Amino acid sequence: MTSRAFGWMGQCIPFRDGETVASALETAGVYTLGADALGQETRYFCGIGACQCCLVRIDGVVREACITPARSEMTVETMEVRRD
Amino acid sequence: MIDPEVIVIGGGPAGIAAAIEVAGCGYAVEVVEQRDSLGGAIHRQPIKGVAPISQASGPKARWRALSDDFASARIPVRYRSIFLGVDADGLVLFENRLACSVERLQAKAVIVATGAVEKVLPRPGWHMAKVSTAGGLQVMMKETGRAPKGRVLLAGNGPLLIAVTAQMARLGNPPVAIVEAGDPLGRTGAGFSMLGHMSLVREAFGYLRTIYLRGIPWMRASQLTAIERDDTSLIAVVRRANGREQRIPVDRIGLHDGIRPNDFALPNEKATSVAGPVILRAGDCRESLGAFAAEADGRRAGRAVAEILSGGHERADLGCVKIERARRAQEVLSTLFAPVGGACPISSLPADTILCRCEGKTVGDLRSLCERADRLTGREIKHNGRFAMGLCQGRFCAANTAALMAEIWPQAPAPVAEDLTGRRWPIRPVSIAALTGARATSTEHE
Ligand code: FES
Repeated sequence: MTSRAFGWMGQCIPFRDGETVASALETAGVYTLGADALGQETRYFCGIGACQCCLVRIDGVVREACITPARSEMTVETMEVRRD
Repeated sequence: MIDPEVIVIGGGPAGIAAAIEVAGCGYAVEVVEQRDSLGGAIHRQPIKGVAPISQASGPKARWRALSDDFASARIPVRYRSIFLGVDADGLVLFENRLACSVERLQAKAVIVATGAVEKVLPRPGWHMAKVSTAGGLQVMMKETGRAPKGRVLLAGNGPLLIAVTAQMARLGNPPVAIVEAGDPLGRTGAGFSMLGHMSLVREAFGYLRTIYLRGIPWMRASQLTAIERDDTSLIAVVRRANGREQRIPVDRIGLHDGIRPNDFALPNEKATSVAGPVILRAGDCRESLGAFAAEADGRRAGRAVAEILSGGHERADLGCVKIERARRAQEVLSTLFAPVGGACPISSLPADTILCRCEGKTVGDLRSLCERADRLTGREIKHNGRFAMGLCQGRFCAANTAALMAEIWPQAPAPVAEDLTGRRWPIRPVSIAALTGARATSTEHE
């Protein structure tokens, strides 16, 4: 099994082939995915793309961490990180 | 690539079965799936190099047969594509996550098979990090082959809690306890009716055996009344059957209070191809009865679409025996697991309990909206109070909000979740830039 990694807030998060961003973060002990627009903490909740509580920016694009497969070129950031 | 005649939304058992039927009747069909593999939440596939999680033998064999049939029918799948809705011109819109674009397809019929979502009742602290749905913990386990780490507590209501418990135990980290609002062992009457559904009995027995052998506390007739946290742990506050309160320090909590159709903002069903495509729903998003019924219902919807497209009429009697049987089994299960002492009223929760997580709206906020002299409708509660207005489009709060409104106004006609959510697409948030760049895909993929 190849082990690769993506970037998360200055940290290197290893993941296994086919794994989602959310499960790689969980394995690395990251349980909160930053604050949402209202300042509430976000997190993995439903796992099926329904609750929108796990939104992160992946290469600048807002995505659900729970249904997005991890790739090594990715930069994953919390929603608070603005790029405008 | 030519536009398909029929589009199936969702690659779980209902969608796959529907697509097989449609293809078998000679129509060109495509499946749109949000992930990069088929199976839905129920048959979530493990990542490379990970053994599939143990599953009861019946469902496993059924899924294998279904996916083999699907593979031999050579039906194309658009992976990583999120269904957004059907626009005013009858075009089917979806977001292609690989290309980062919104695409449109013209089809004669759409079968929507978006599955179920879990019900989660509000409790103080349910919105905190490290609290997930039990099903959410389960899909992650299926994907990674690893149980969630640390001290895990599962709480709520229904048979899924014991299934997740047994799977966690087999992966080496059983939950510290299961908090169950019902008392299935105390309901012998319903227990006997279970005997009519032997496959369910066998499955449940397998789970209970694991729980018993491992000595996992199954706290029945108990409620998780609040979640608190200190510097290191979450604290689960549990009210036991004898009325005593117990505080259990844990690292992770999985909540689950049943399932319901994931039918939020879906287009209405439409049994004619005049003025836009035929639209039918199949499986758990129509009626949440589980994988067995979903497959049968998918076949029903697939045949119904073929029937309508060939100029016939949708026949209501198609393949209903299995669905009827699954419905009876579900009724028995819900009697068996009925919360002891009835459902806990939401109005008894502290005012600062979050009701709608996306918008940070509380039980107290809804109460003060409802106390206004002019009685608000469900839509007004949504627009004035921002309940069910957020990104999840009410999937996790609309039913709870409607239930609390009914508790506050017992004389008024009871509002339902749909009064709050409405039927507007896109059914999932999408960027305006992607939406305005929407293009017909047939020209793109030639
Ligand atoms: S955890 Fe619910 S959408 Fe990702």
